[in-house]
Amino acid sequence: MIKKLFIQILFIGISGLAFSQEMFVTGLVKSDQNIKLPYVKIQEKGKTNGAFTDANGIYRLKITDTTNVSLIFTFSGYEKQEIKLNGRLTIDATLVEIVNNQQEVIVGYGTAKSKEVTGATTKINGENVEKMSVARVDQALQGQVAGVNIATNSGSPGGSSNIRIRGLSTFGDNDPLILVDGVVYDSEGLNALNPSDIKSINVLKDATAGIYGVRAANGVIIVETKKGNINSKPQIEYNAYFGQQQTSRKLDLLSAQEYAVIKNEMFAMGGQDMPFNNTNSGLGTSWQDSVFQTAPIQSHNLSISGGTLNTRYSIALGYFTQDGIVGGPKSNFSRYNARMNFSTDMSTKLKLNSVLLYSNDSRSTLPENGIGSVLYNTINAFPNVPIRLPNGQFSYLEQVSDIINPIAQMQNQYNWNTANKLVGKEEFIYSFNDHLSFTNRVNYNVAFVDGKVFSPLVWYGEGKYANTALNAQLASPTVELAPGVEINRGAAVYEERSTFVDLTYESFLNYERTFNENHKVKGTAGVSIFQRKGNSLSGTGYGIPNNSVEYADISANTAQGGYLNNVGSWQFTERLVSSFLRAEYSYKEKYMISGILRRDGSSKFGPNSRYGIFPTIAAGWLLSDEDFFKVKFINYAKLRVSYGVSGNDQIPNFAYRGLLNGEGVYVFDDLITQGVAIGRPSNPDLKWETTRQLNIGADFTFWKKLDFTTNYFIKNTFDLLFQPDVSAIIGSYGPGGYPPVINAGNVSNKGVEFEFAYHIRKKKNFSADFNFNATSIANKVTKVPSGVNYIPGASFSVGGDVATRFQQGYEIGYFFGYQTAGVYQTQAQIDAAAVVQEGAKPGDLIFVDQNGDGKISFTDDSDKTYLGSAIPKFTFGFSFNMRYKAFDISGMIYSAIGQEIIRNYERQQPYANQLGYMVDRWTGEGSTNVNPRVTTEATHNNLFSSYYVEDGSFARLKNIQLGYSFPGAKLKKIKVDSFRIYVSANNLITLTRYQGFDPDLGSSNALSAGVDYGFYPQAKTFMGGIQLKF
Amino acid sequence: MKQVKKYLVLTVIISLSLVQTGCDKFLSVDPPYSQDVENFFQTPEDYDRALTGAYDLLQGSFITLWIGEIASDNAIAGGESVNDSPGLHQIDAMTHGGVNNELRNVLRWNYTGITRANYILEHKDNIDFPGKAHILAEAKFLRAYYYFELVKYFGDVPLIVDRRIGIDEVLQIPRSPKTEVYAQIEKDLIDAAAVLNPVASQKGRATKGAALSFLGKVYLYQNKFTEAAATFDDVIASGSYSLIPNYNDLFSVANENNSETVFDVQYTGLEGGSYGCLICLEGNAAVGFQGIRQYNGPVYGDGNSYNLPTQELYDAFSSIDPRRGATVLDIDAFIASQPNPASITYAIGAGGHTGYYNNKYIKRQGEIGLPDNDLTSPVNYRVMRYADVLLMAAEAHYQLGHTSTAQSLVNQVRGRAGVPGIPVNSINVIYKERRFELSGEGLRFFDLVRTGQAATYINGFVTGKHELFPIPQVEIDLAGGHWSQNPGY
Repeated sequence: MIKKLFIQILFIGISGLAFSQEMFVTGLVKSDQNIKLPYVKIQEKGKTNGAFTDANGIYRLKITDTTNVSLIFTFSGYEKQEIKLNGRLTIDATLVEIVNNQQEVIVGYGTAKSKEVTGATTKINGENVEKMSVARVDQALQGQVAGVNIATNSGSPGGSSNIRIRGLSTFGDNDPLILVDGVVYDSEGLNALNPSDIKSINVLKDATAGIYGVRAANGVIIVETKKGNINSKPQIEYNAYFGQQQTSRKLDLLSAQEYAVIKNEMFAMGGQDMPFNNTNSGLGTSWQDSVFQTAPIQSHNLSISGGTLNTRYSIALGYFTQDGIVGGPKSNFSRYNARMNFSTDMSTKLKLNSVLLYSNDSRSTLPENGIGSVLYNTINAFPNVPIRLPNGQFSYLEQVSDIINPIAQMQNQYNWNTANKLVGKEEFIYSFNDHLSFTNRVNYNVAFVDGKVFSPLVWYGEGKYANTALNAQLASPTVELAPGVEINRGAAVYEERSTFVDLTYESFLNYERTFNENHKVKGTAGVSIFQRKGNSLSGTGYGIPNNSVEYADISANTAQGGYLNNVGSWQFTERLVSSFLRAEYSYKEKYMISGILRRDGSSKFGPNSRYGIFPTIAAGWLLSDEDFFKVKFINYAKLRVSYGVSGNDQIPNFAYRGLLNGEGVYVFDDLITQGVAIGRPSNPDLKWETTRQLNIGADFTFWKKLDFTTNYFIKNTFDLLFQPDVSAIIGSYGPGGYPPVINAGNVSNKGVEFEFAYHIRKKKNFSADFNFNATSIANKVTKVPSGVNYIPGASFSVGGDVATRFQQGYEIGYFFGYQTAGVYQTQAQIDAAAVVQEGAKPGDLIFVDQNGDGKISFTDDSDKTYLGSAIPKFTFGFSFNMRYKAFDISGMIYSAIGQEIIRNYERQQPYANQLGYMVDRWTGEGSTNVNPRVTTEATHNNLFSSYYVEDGSFARLKNIQLGYSFPGAKLKKIKVDSFRIYVSANNLITLTRYQGFDPDLGSSNALSAGVDYGFYPQAKTFMGGIQLKF
Repeated sequence: MKQVKKYLVLTVIISLSLVQTGCDKFLSVDPPYSQDVENFFQTPEDYDRALTGAYDLLQGSFITLWIGEIASDNAIAGGESVNDSPGLHQIDAMTHGGVNNELRNVLRWNYTGITRANYILEHKDNIDFPGKAHILAEAKFLRAYYYFELVKYFGDVPLIVDRRIGIDEVLQIPRSPKTEVYAQIEKDLIDAAAVLNPVASQKGRATKGAALSFLGKVYLYQNKFTEAAATFDDVIASGSYSLIPNYNDLFSVANENNSETVFDVQYTGLEGGSYGCLICLEGNAAVGFQGIRQYNGPVYGDGNSYNLPTQELYDAFSSIDPRRGATVLDIDAFIASQPNPASITYAIGAGGHTGYYNNKYIKRQGEIGLPDNDLTSPVNYRVMRYADVLLMAAEAHYQLGHTSTAQSLVNQVRGRAGVPGIPVNSINVIYKERRFELSGEGLRFFDLVRTGQAATYINGFVTGKHELFPIPQVEIDLAGGHWSQNPGY
């Protein structure tokens, strides 16, 4: 078929040559800013002959006739223009740059001019992502889009972020659907994506994301990678930067002398002997100085892009590597990328788009943000002992069993992960005519993930939890591999290999036509079939020779008979079958209405509720096009409204089915007999979470310079998926049993978003862009499962009370504990107090009697109250780009206001080091009303209270960059198109009152957000870079 | 070109119709390489393994060994402090209410057992094989056992038979009247007795005698004396059981599963465990918990001083009755009788001290399981022994006026214990004999309630209220809030 088409084209071409008279039309093409435009495509209307402008904007096109001929000028970023020849043979053209509201926006299975859009979407250009010079695109997106809150899960290289589009809407997985060139990416897998490969990012925030149905409830992020331009010469681009990173903050910890004084006082107050005879011990060891280091970061990207008349291509190679500011190469992230985008017109009707992304990323990690993490140990390590004793042995920090020497800990950690990922798309678009096109595409995403953990025999001192050896001589414990088969454990290596294969087939028709000039109709109808398969195999090998990482491979194990331990495997298949329909109608491009209907069938749910229908309706009114609209300074005004239903299916596979993973063991004939039992009962009625969202928005352009967009939304999520306690009569509380996954609970998010963009473009030597966005979201749990008062979340301290909750009427994961009201100064004050606080002594925290019963209850929750939440009340992003002649400067500020953080990195043990604020502890009447006394005796001061809750608000200069572009004339001589050098800094300034390492701390678990266990801070980075085009 | 269009339109139609029709099959994905709840019961081994899973919950019966004593006049809760298992302390003081973890465990564990038995019976017709009937009979026995536990504690309970219930259904299921539950228990036990072997193929499995003995007990609990007497007579006439000569040997591991054993909950010391999940243990948690606090000396092992016999129980025994010493350990007297008393130490828990320990179920040297050995005692819980059958038979016969039969049954039990026979001239004689013979075995509270004597013997017992335990409030809430609480709570 294709061959036949080619022959036809060829034939037409030849006949043209042979039988018609040769004529040429020529001209100059300029922009509305009077700049000559190269590579503008000029075509004779209705014909296949075309030409392009040269570097001076001049074109020459062969034609056969001059009377009934029109020329069409097209150039990316400019409005299409059509000019009738009317007998002329010289046609100059001035192309008008597309202003914001005419830009193309991707809306899912199609595009729309932003003028036509009725939903709440935001587009970010690739430059704004690339400019941030970070490893991951999610880090770069922080603060760039109103309504999208991004918090960092870890500042370590390759650490993920949490993307929350319009608030936390579920107990479980809140990650949005991320599509890269139409291929589903999970947010964890964003490590594989090179930010330099990105052309644009579109964020669908409201119900119009419902075209993605059961996966759309958390919003959709559509990433497009870079493509070449038609008929442009090959453009080679090389970008690189190098940088040095350091910690953005060190904590104010006690010096050895302060430590000795305070600990002596603490023991004396507890009626015990003072541990330090000599308190004159100076500064002592700064563990932080040894743990934090400067670490290098570098990135290289080489690309070539261009196109011929029918073909566009863009090929790129990338390399990125970043060491950690804690652990250096022990917390490294490195990535190699290769990308190929290729589009070709196989015939006038049939077009192929091909995308291939390959990546190899590897990450090594240290224990972080938890009890026992390197930084937790660093904070709590004693300042009065050296890192190493004179004999070279690490000091053991023996007085506290769960604090180990962080330097020794880093040395003994070996933890690697490598992912090889192949993502691609083959897309065929057949255009029947100007109105109807038919797209068929196959997407794939194949990932091979390898993990390895080497645990050598180590000894951190008597009684330490992390010891793997029996003593300082590294004697090995024994392990029973099978009845009667015992070996020395020795050094152990754990390996895991997993494979994930996603395949998507999508087929859809797009129709677009304007009738009688005023009635524009658009339609999309299609199907999508998705399958993901995954499998994994893992095992542990014992007895790795020489206790050495050199032999850290299962194959090197010396266990008898090659026994592996903890051998495991899993596999799964999940499928999604969907059909979707979108119809849009606009009258005079002034009144717009559209409807979306998507039907999803998901293998994640049981036969009782496998299929879901997700409708959305949206409308827009272009107020500024009305005749009566005569406000001079408003050039553009549009009102939008949308309402729709979408779903969230992010639960484990087969959660609707019962699993036989319970424990069914009984004793027959005095022998333990293994049986089988239901672990998690089935729930055949399990279904997706449903989100109903209303969006009311408006877009304006003022004075042709200031774009303003605002949205107000109400997003209600119903039937949250989770595993709360269930009734005993379900029968799931036996050995190895746990409750089923059920639909219960509702969450509401309401918010308002503002986006401002201000452009100055007119001046020749100067241009500037300013973008500002602000978001306010109110999050509230509106229902919890029947019979359950709240769902407990994270614990405070070691083995402490539950500090966060999921409870009706409050934010998800709000903090719950005692409210304090200063410090008791005297015994008389305690005796006279209206509220009895059992055990209180002068210097103890005063708790507030919440239920008014005249006493503080320490045995139940009756005197605990709301103490804050990790969800910011407001977030702001501000960015600017300015160019003056050859110099440019840009910057980005992100701020989150109104959230709280729990200070949970202090080990409440007598010998653990403490923060500098303890210098201002209570020491007697009138000394302070803030910090309690120090003592080793049992007090209630260590209970979770507002004393441990801090304001987490912050503003951060995420990036600032200063660049210089060498003058074009000189570069031309050496055949270079452009050459820019720049210096840049990330996280240069952070304004916050929070005492911990980094206030920008998130968690993938909604109930642990805002709990700081010694968070791995983001680095402060200084970089220099070059951008070269030729 | 026309052809292309046709071809494409056809593709659209085909793919659209494919999506609509073929997807049910496409979307029914079975978990690869795994047997899950919905595709089990393919082989006889599957039935057998599921049955083992249903037996597992019997091991939760240790909690009845506690509550049956602590709620009665036989024992106090004990332990480290009053906050050590507070639910038991409340039950001890008859102050228990709707928040009680121990009672919640009773409800949860027994319903798990029922669910596991129902799971087998739900799939009784999947395949046929020799021995299936016996497996189904064992499942019915177990279901009856678990329902009987529930009905003893809570009275009316939701009756779920031969099926599992879903999360939505929970909200609709009412508490079934006690009579309906009893009817189901009787039916299950009758069915089971008709099939079960008289002699267990493996130690620990339910037998015909066990089913009949429980059936008789269930009749007795409903005051169906005629049926009870006839059933117990069947057990006695079977000749399968006899009392072992020495009462003192009854509770040692070495003498387990003897001629007097009608049904034991089997435990082993071969597997370790943790305090976090007592129902996960393979050992008898009650034994270690009832051990002597911080004991350091011969014969016994150290434990957590739970479930301590009262002075009143000790005094109730005749001093010549050997069952006194076999039932109650007078710790100070025992230490004094040892060769080197000064070297023997133990501690008193703040949860209470009586000077007595439960000498039937107590950690002994030579019967100590793996670490943590407070949790892994191999001592079986004798939930039904022949002496109990004889005394229940005596009770049923006495109520029917068969005084002489009753007397000979009672004196058979007394004779073995080595105490002289007595005239059975009142039902109270039999009740008292039950206390002497069966104290420390978790029966006393339920016997007192069943025979209407609870208010007389138990301090704080309110008639019309404490006969039943409260349904834990959280369970009422989780079931949708429409179950009424038991009277008085």
